[in-house]
Amino acid sequence: MSTALAVVGYTFRACLPAKRRLGLLVLAIVTVVFGALAQDSPSGRAAIGIVETPAVVVFALVLPIGALVVGDAVLGSEVRGGVFAFTWLSPARLSTILLGRWLAGTAMTCAALVPAVVLAAIVGGAPEVAASFAVATAAGAACYLAVFVAIGANFRRAPVASLVYVFLIERLLGAALSSIAQISPGWLAAGVLTGSIDDVPDDLVRNGVPQGAAAVARLAIITVIALALALRGLRRLRIAGAAD
Amino acid sequence: MSDPSLVDDATVEIDHVSVWFGPKVALSEVTCSFGPGVTGLLGPNGAGKTTLMRAIAGMLPPNQGHVRVEDLDPRTQREAHRVLALVPEDEAVPEALTARQFVRYTAALHGVTGREAPDAALATVGLTEVADRRLGGFSKGMRQRAKVAAALVGDPRVLVLDEPLNGADPVQRVALIDLFRRLAADGRTVIVSSHVLHEVERLAERVIVLAHGRIAAAGGHRAIRDAMSDRPRRVLVRAPQTRRLASALVSLDSVAGVSIAGEEVTVSTTSAREFARVIAVLARDLDVHLVEVRPLDDSLESLFRELVR
Repeated sequence: MSTALAVVGYTFRACLPAKRRLGLLVLAIVTVVFGALAQDSPSGRAAIGIVETPAVVVFALVLPIGALVVGDAVLGSEVRGGVFAFTWLSPARLSTILLGRWLAGTAMTCAALVPAVVLAAIVGGAPEVAASFAVATAAGAACYLAVFVAIGANFRRAPVASLVYVFLIERLLGAALSSIAQISPGWLAAGVLTGSIDDVPDDLVRNGVPQGAAAVARLAIITVIALALALRGLRRLRIAGAAD
Repeated sequence: MSDPSLVDDATVEIDHVSVWFGPKVALSEVTCSFGPGVTGLLGPNGAGKTTLMRAIAGMLPPNQGHVRVEDLDPRTQREAHRVLALVPEDEAVPEALTARQFVRYTAALHGVTGREAPDAALATVGLTEVADRRLGGFSKGMRQRAKVAAALVGDPRVLVLDEPLNGADPVQRVALIDLFRRLAADGRTVIVSSHVLHEVERLAERVIVLAHGRIAAAGGHRAIRDAMSDRPRRVLVRAPQTRRLASALVSLDSVAGVSIAGEEVTVSTTSAREFARVIAVLARDLDVHLVEVRPLDDSLESLFRELVR
């Protein structure tokens, strides 16, 4: 078994305890419930209804929180708990460890949320946007995972730093400043979805945030930068115990 | 080599290493080396043992100085972890994994293919029968053994064990001590810290005593005790006429103080060697029958209590 596969396999088996899995399940159910609400869109178009309600909930709340739950579990939680030492104390390259954790985390987040958004689109009466909703969620999940893994590698209190990032920087500052929104995984993931729907009303498109494929490309760039920062954090990590 | 902190055939070299956490200095200018065989690392809590072990493993970068393991920097050269393994003191283990999955994972990280090596490592620490149980349900001693198995699976030439006997029952302790001695006999460098000092006496040929982040003493047990022979020590004297004996003892130059409890006199002496010479003469002169004369400090525990005072 290759090192990368071993890391991925370990992450699937060991990193997501039952409470966090339950949290993901709740978020998936919330997504589907909001999908049902999209049927009552005042626009009369189900696709627009999806962008108005479930998409907002998914990209502003469900996706970042779900990715935070998983992203912290795959690295930050292990570092704080001392378990990461068993992985660190090996000849495996740190980049391999990092990519393995990120890939597995992204897969776990997508496994929980992508079926939920597809179901939400179908329940909401707009099966034609299910694929783009799924792509937007997956791209956003990959980017968020990289961000939260980077936070886990660089901050001792990663959950607090991650919550500050989501609610203070992304939601609060991002709502006011388009420069923040332009590098926000949540806003960009929403841009991936809105870019795939024809004639989206202007009030549902964030000014300055790229749409469709351009948003995917920007998410990819942010993902690469976040992973580079995570690698830098792993190289500088001080794994200290309570004894000394 | 005259400095007892250093060995000729060093595989692990610590060169003027200092580590601090904010204002707290955990290690201060520590220079020592470790070679094949078992070396015991002793010191009270906060002495810097765990920090030194983590620095050897590369988990903590020294703020000053250098650590080399077989001429590799364990902090920056990942290849160092092919020859080095650490068993951390923390109880933390990946609780969702079974012991077998855990050891197979570390084997895969070390590029060890096949299932023979993980199974052999589990058998070595006596966990074969519970290998398919989750680590979360393991006792502290079983977790320690699982971590030792995970460390052994990569066949390391340098093994760093931070309190590896914690939580192990007496039978397991004997088995683990025997295992570490066998590993050392194979030419491996084994560094062990422990609070159970009589076990370190049985386990390690060489001892390094850490106190307040510095090396307080180094060498064999006997050499350290000899160096301490003129330091204050306590001796228990049991005799029927304790008050008469005690009043005579306090007049001796080598006696710093006495305390009486029933038929026992505890003597604090400034020179154990001198006291051993005069106590027999004194008893004969007083016509007191000495039932027992026993040093209370003849262990590493008392030794490092003395060293770190």
